[in-house]
Amino acid sequence: MMKKTTRLIFFTVSVSFALLMQSCTPGSCFEETTAFVKAGLFLDTTKKLSAPDSLTMFGAGRDTSRIYSKSRNITTALIPLDASAENCSLVLRINGISDTISFFYTSSLHMLSKECGYTYYHQIEIPVYTTNIIDTITITKSSITTRSEENIRIYY
Amino acid sequence: MHLMPAAAQQADLPVDTADVTLKIRTALEISGPILFFTDKNILNLEANVTADLNEKYSLIVGGGYSDYSYSQYNYSFMADGLFFKAGADRNLLRPEMAEGTYWAGAGLRYGVSRFAAETPTLKHDNYWGSVPSSIPRDNYWCHYLEVSGGFKAELFRNFSIGWMINIRKMIYAGGTRELRPIYFPGYGNGGSTFAYSINYFISYNIPYKKIKVLIYPEPPEEPDEEDTGQQSASPQVGRQGIGR
Repeated sequence: MMKKTTRLIFFTVSVSFALLMQSCTPGSCFEETTAFVKAGLFLDTTKKLSAPDSLTMFGAGRDTSRIYSKSRNITTALIPLDASAENCSLVLRINGISDTISFFYTSSLHMLSKECGYTYYHQIEIPVYTTNIIDTITITKSSITTRSEENIRIYY
Repeated sequence: MHLMPAAAQQADLPVDTADVTLKIRTALEISGPILFFTDKNILNLEANVTADLNEKYSLIVGGGYSDYSYSQYNYSFMADGLFFKAGADRNLLRPEMAEGTYWAGAGLRYGVSRFAAETPTLKHDNYWGSVPSSIPRDNYWCHYLEVSGGFKAELFRNFSIGWMINIRKMIYAGGTRELRPIYFPGYGNGGSTFAYSINYFISYNIPYKKIKVLIYPEPPEEPDEEDTGQQSASPQVGRQGIGR
């Protein structure tokens, strides 16, 4: 009996120290903290996911600050929305031909974790866009979160 | 009528009696105030009262106050409020071993926390810039279950110290899931499935009743593996031999 009790005490003391050590470890944020619109790039002729030869993207009027700059091998573009506004426009240049996409949305605060803090989630409506190289844009999931799931499809 | 072997009948019979003093214990949690001197961001004050029902079981009611603040590069958070819990403890030590001075056991409690929380400053940065915001102070409820295990010892007459490890599981958290507070007074970290804590108590014990407890013979302990290792080795070899 004594042997079992000694073991019990030893075990609980060990667990205590382990928990104490854990509580002293500072946390770091390893999560995605921005809710991007995840846009799959589809070739209109084949209806298949296809990376354009060149992709450039920037906010309308923010040509000097580019999200993508002649990037290659991008099949899913991550589009940030402006949480301080209810709409924002971006220029999308695929293979040298530019189009403008305007997003209309509502934003709501979301607590990610103690380590990462807060972010904004969005609920988007059907975007308005020009059709120089873009054929159509469809919404697959209108709720924009930090989860890795496709939100819109851009056929070009 | 069932007939039992004489040895088995003998094993069930009490061999002695022990006097056990039932007590009411008033305990103060001491690590909260001590830690406050090293970390001014968290103050936990907790006390409880335990009443022995018999040599094994006791009822416990407790409560406290918690004041928590946290700040990092993109937000700051504050919460303060009261919590209450009630439940039962079981002493796992045999009466003749506990001797009225030692306690090693486990308990289950139901806890309720009522508190206010706010996020005075927060900002979100992305391509478009920084968006500052805040979440105003609001009141919340939190209900949780707590499983505790620990050890207590009476150092001086009617004066005990002890520690408990607590594992908590939230069963109801007020507020929306999207804006759940990061910390719940009495519970702990709001973001995790389980919350853990260690409490160190000092308690004053008030004896209120003496009872006689029958002492039953200890069941024979199963032999350890290392003790039987040599004995079990040869039959295994034998079985292998048979298999060939």
